[in-house]
Amino acid sequence: MAQPPDTAAHDERRSPGPESDLSFGERFYLREAVKGMAVIARHFWRNLLGYRDPNPEVLDRRGPGVNLVSTINYPEERKPYPPGYRGMHRLVPRTDGRPRCVACYMCATACPAQCIYIEAGEYEDQAIEKYPVRFEIDELRCIVCGFCVEACPKDAIRMDTGTHAPSVLSRPLAVFDKEALLKGPPVEHPSDVLTYRVPLRTVARPDEDRGPTE
Amino acid sequence: MHPEPPSAPPGMRLPMPGVPTPLARLAAKDFGSGGPARPQFGAWLAGTVVGWGVFAGVLLFVSWLLYAIVRLCMAVGDLLPVSLGISQPIGTIVALILVLIMVTATLLTMAERKWSALMQDRVGPNRARLPLPGLSERPLKGIPHILADVLKMLFKEDFIPEGASSNKFLFNLAPLLAFAPAFCLFAVVPVGPEVTFWGKRIALQVARVDWGILYVFALASLAVFGTALAGWTSNNKLALLGGLRASAQLVSYEVTLGLTLVGVFIVFGTLRLEVMVAQQGPTQAMLSSAIRTGAPDGSLVFGWLPGWGALFQPLGMVLFLVAAMAEIKRAPFDTPEGESEIIGYFLEYSGLKSGLFLIAEFAEVVVVSGIVAAIFLGGYHIPWIEPQIARAFDGVFGIAGTTWLAVLQVFTFLVKMLLLIWVQMLARWAFPRFRYDQIMRLGWKMMLPISLINVAVSAGIWLWAGREGLAWMGIVEWAALIFFLALSAGAKASAEPGSHSSTTTDAHAAPAAH
Repeated sequence: MAQPPDTAAHDERRSPGPESDLSFGERFYLREAVKGMAVIARHFWRNLLGYRDPNPEVLDRRGPGVNLVSTINYPEERKPYPPGYRGMHRLVPRTDGRPRCVACYMCATACPAQCIYIEAGEYEDQAIEKYPVRFEIDELRCIVCGFCVEACPKDAIRMDTGTHAPSVLSRPLAVFDKEALLKGPPVEHPSDVLTYRVPLRTVARPDEDRGPTE
Repeated sequence: MHPEPPSAPPGMRLPMPGVPTPLARLAAKDFGSGGPARPQFGAWLAGTVVGWGVFAGVLLFVSWLLYAIVRLCMAVGDLLPVSLGISQPIGTIVALILVLIMVTATLLTMAERKWSALMQDRVGPNRARLPLPGLSERPLKGIPHILADVLKMLFKEDFIPEGASSNKFLFNLAPLLAFAPAFCLFAVVPVGPEVTFWGKRIALQVARVDWGILYVFALASLAVFGTALAGWTSNNKLALLGGLRASAQLVSYEVTLGLTLVGVFIVFGTLRLEVMVAQQGPTQAMLSSAIRTGAPDGSLVFGWLPGWGALFQPLGMVLFLVAAMAEIKRAPFDTPEGESEIIGYFLEYSGLKSGLFLIAEFAEVVVVSGIVAAIFLGGYHIPWIEPQIARAFDGVFGIAGTTWLAVLQVFTFLVKMLLLIWVQMLARWAFPRFRYDQIMRLGWKMMLPISLINVAVSAGIWLWAGREGLAWMGIVEWAALIFFLALSAGAKASAEPGSHSSTTTDAHAAPAAH
């Protein structure tokens, strides 16, 4: 409805006149002023005297005596990230603390940012022959896409730390090495059993004895 | 995907090879406590009770301290070989202006931020820390921010705009002109009664003069010079706009400000603030006789109502408070500042000169609260129970009951003052800034006629029925106000927000339809 604006109706300087449906009390302003101040005062006293619900998950704070401040004081309090959150990487350890990684380069290959650098080493006497001598992730290059996690055949790299990369003061410090990445609860799979840290000579050689390949 | 492995308990640390790099230590901080913290009701309750107790205790101590400072200054004056007769004025200046006003105004810079935060469901500033052992990890409710603010302003560059360099003197004079009247204003406000304190008669009031309230009007209008001068010498269009707005607004509300108090002059028959306050409660003679005989408060109107200015002049009180808030340029009357449209008359000021404008505003808030408390809310008087308090405390530690009562009365005055400051802060956040034409219309077309009517009606009733008649008028006005508020609170259903906005747009569209 494109119509020429009525100058009288659109004059900004006019207060809501008789044509508006404001009641007398609303146009009188005093009552509305007191009501408005009452609202502010209620918030003030409730926030001043109420106790603070420290659960950061609660955004809609209700209940008797709870104040309405839903601020999370960030460095001291942190809201946990949702379960699917892709946080900072970790190298998943076995129960003996060594990484599950077998240095297959799949993650480094899948990485679109090319932020993973691996140097492979070899065990002489174990069923799992390869391990990473160096495993470095440049957290400044990482785009947190999670492709490395998808690509890993050994469930050796995860992004379930629930944190993000800490801030650093110089760029070389953002390159996380194996010691920094290796942390968190260890992971074992049933399929690991036969291949897990068994010295090579004690393993039955025939191929049919091996467990299902992952 | 792999089946989910039996997960280790959260927070479990592995027997990992020792973390060699600092980075690894940083990264090892993950997997902290998982569950949300529990509300600690005991700590909350204890903190609330202790906090309010400490607050009341500090206020009581300050009440005593004000008298003590004056007494100390008089003692120092007695030590001097010549008697200049100025030791008590100097003492009251130190106690009231330098301690009470300055400290309250300084704390108000923090209260402005913290109270605003509470009114808006925020936390407010709590990051600054004092670099002292034991305190460096405590936010102290944001109090260190006062220090941080002052230090920040002190170390800012003192910038003078190019156009202002020709009249640098006036440019530098403006903040002083805005600051000085705000401070001097408090000179006539009686904070405490005149009592014997350690052997000397002390009244907590700087100047006890005949022209008390006229002095307030005169100095309050002086403040506009600083504002206008700041706007003009800044050589900045927006600052000039702010200065112009300020001068027009201040001149307009000056009229209402004066007229609203005429009703009070009629009731109390004086311009002296200390006499006004004294009339709102039992006099010293009444108190001393009450100490002897235990007689109840004889100054109550009709025998049960405290004779405060708010009883005789409710309309006058509301109008005065509104006009005073416009006079000191506080929100919602802060068009001269108007930081969202023009930055304000102090746009070109930096550092402590800008800070002077700010602290002047806060000092004015304190002064307005003090004046309203003195004239309308009974000043330092505690309603109903003053004679009983004086009688109960008489002779404790060998000190007269009136002296004990005086300390409590100063405490009462401080509480009333804080309450009014809080009300002004409430108004600041309850109302959006008025438009300039709205301010003018409110001042000239509403408040001025209403205050004139108030003066005429009050004078008529005073001539016809005297003091009690005015008390009846006040009761009727209060009843009408409460009835009006209560009545319209029930009729809220017709004013749903949604229907309201839709019908207003209809009302705007309707004339265009035909």
